Amino acid sequence: MKNSTLLFRSLAVILLLGGSAHLVSYASEQTVDNTISPVDESIELQTSKSEENTLLLKDTSDYNEETDYIIGNWKTMYNSKDFKGAIVFIIKKEKGVFNAYTHAYEDENGDSEKAKGHKILMIKSFDGYKGKGIYKVTYEKQTYDIECEIDMVDENTFKLSYDYYGYSDVETWKRQ
Amino acid sequence: MIEFLSKELSWIDVDYWFYVFNDLSLIYIIVPFFVLELIRYAWQKRLNTNLVLDSLANIITFGAFLTIEFLLGLLAVTKLYFWVYNHISLPHLELNWITIITCVLLADFAYYWEHRMMHRIGIGWATHTVHHSSPHFNMSVAYRFGPLDAIMPIIFSLPIVMLGYDPILVLLSEVFVQVFQTLLHTEIIGKFIKPVEFIFNTPSHHRVHHGSNRQYWDKNYGGILIIWDRMFGTFEPEIETVRYGISEPLHSTNPVKVFFHGITRLAKKIGSVEGFKNKFLVLIKPPDWMPKE
Repeated sequence: MKNSTLLFRSLAVILLLGGSAHLVSYASEQTVDNTISPVDESIELQTSKSEENTLLLKDTSDYNEETDYIIGNWKTMYNSKDFKGAIVFIIKKEKGVFNAYTHAYEDENGDSEKAKGHKILMIKSFDGYKGKGIYKVTYEKQTYDIECEIDMVDENTFKLSYDYYGYSDVETWKRQ
Repeated sequence: MIEFLSKELSWIDVDYWFYVFNDLSLIYIIVPFFVLELIRYAWQKRLNTNLVLDSLANIITFGAFLTIEFLLGLLAVTKLYFWVYNHISLPHLELNWITIITCVLLADFAYYWEHRMMHRIGIGWATHTVHHSSPHFNMSVAYRFGPLDAIMPIIFSLPIVMLGYDPILVLLSEVFVQVFQTLLHTEIIGKFIKPVEFIFNTPSHHRVHHGSNRQYWDKNYGGILIIWDRMFGTFEPEIETVRYGISEPLHSTNPVKVFFHGITRLAKKIGSVEGFKNKFLVLIKPPDWMPKE
C-alpha cells in the first residue's frame, strides 16, 4: 500500500474520531447554554432577593430542597504564590450536577474584577451534607483535575478538601 | 442519542470501571484462564520443564520491564502529558460517553501504528522481539516485555492528548487496549463467528501475529480491532498451523538472556556494519535491513 494512502486513511480516522467527540461536546454545550439561562437569572436574583429566588427555584420541577440550597454565590480566600485574595464562585445546577464557575476576583485591597466564568468545581454527588467531586487546581501554571470532598458546616459554609499525591488543602467556602 | 453520548460522567465512576476492567481482570479472567491452559497442557502431555521455565521467564521480564519504566520516570511521562494537555491541545473534552469511546478507539489506533513501528524499525524490534521470542503461546506470553517497550507508546499517545483528551483517560485507555490484548494469547479458543472475526482482533488473528511462518511475518498488528489491519493492508487470516517464535530462535529460558537478547543482537549488528551512517540506519531501518556491499 502506498505511503500516501496510509497517511490519508490515518488522517481520516483521526478526524472522524476526534471530530465526532468535539462535535458532540459542542452540540451538548449549546443545549446546556440554552437550558441554563433561567437558572442564571434566578442566581442573579439571589444576590439581591434571596427569598424570592428560593421561591423561584422551588417552582421548577427538578428542585430538590435537600441539596439545591447549595446553588448561589460562594466566596473563598486564597493565599498562594499565584493569587492572594478572594474568589467568588457561582454554583449552578446543570443536568443534575452542581458546577461552580468563577464569578469575581477580589485582591488583598478589596478591589474586585469580574472573572471569565471558568468551570472550576464539579460536584458529582451531594446528599445535602457531604459531597464528592472534581476540583481544578492550578499549580505552577498547570491545571490538574483532582478528586475533592465537600463537607457542609452549616447552610452558609462548607469545607472543600483534597489530597493529590501529598498536595493537600482544606478550603472554607462561605455564602455571599 | 447525543444527549446520552454527551451525558457528563463522574471521574470516580469512570475510574472505578477502568479499575474493574484493567486491574481486576488479572484476578477474574487472566489467572484462571492461565490455570486452565496449564491443565490443558497437562492433558495433552505438553506440560514440560521448558514450558514452565518459559512462563516463569515471562513473569520475570514483566517485573524487569516495570522496574525500568519506574526508573525512567512514569511520573515524568505523566507530567509531559499534562504539559501538552495544558499548552498545546485543542479545547479540553468533557468526560462523557463519546469522549471515552473515541479515546479508547484512538488509543487502539495509536497502538496499531506503534506496534507496526516496533516491528518495522531496528530499535523497535530490538525491544519487541522479546515478546515474540517464546516458542509457546499462552497468557503468560502477554507479560513477556522488552526493556524499552513503553517508549514508543508515548510518541503515539501525545497526539491524542493534543486532541483535547484528558491524559489520565488516555493512559487508562492504553492500559485497556493492553489488557484486551492479553486475553488473546491463548490456543484454547479457536475462531469466533465471522462478524466478530471481521471486526475484532481475536486469539486466531493474534496467533498469526506470533507466527514465524513466512506468510505470517509482520501481520495483524491490531489491539482491539482488526479492521485497522484490513484498512492498512497488514491482515492475514489463520490458515496454516502456526509455528510460534522468531525467525532466529533464542533457545533459552534464562530471563536475563530473554530480556536483553534483542538489544545485544542489535548491538552486534551495529558493530558489524561499516560507517556511522549505516550504524544509524540499522536503528531506523527494518530489522532485516543490511547495507549494500
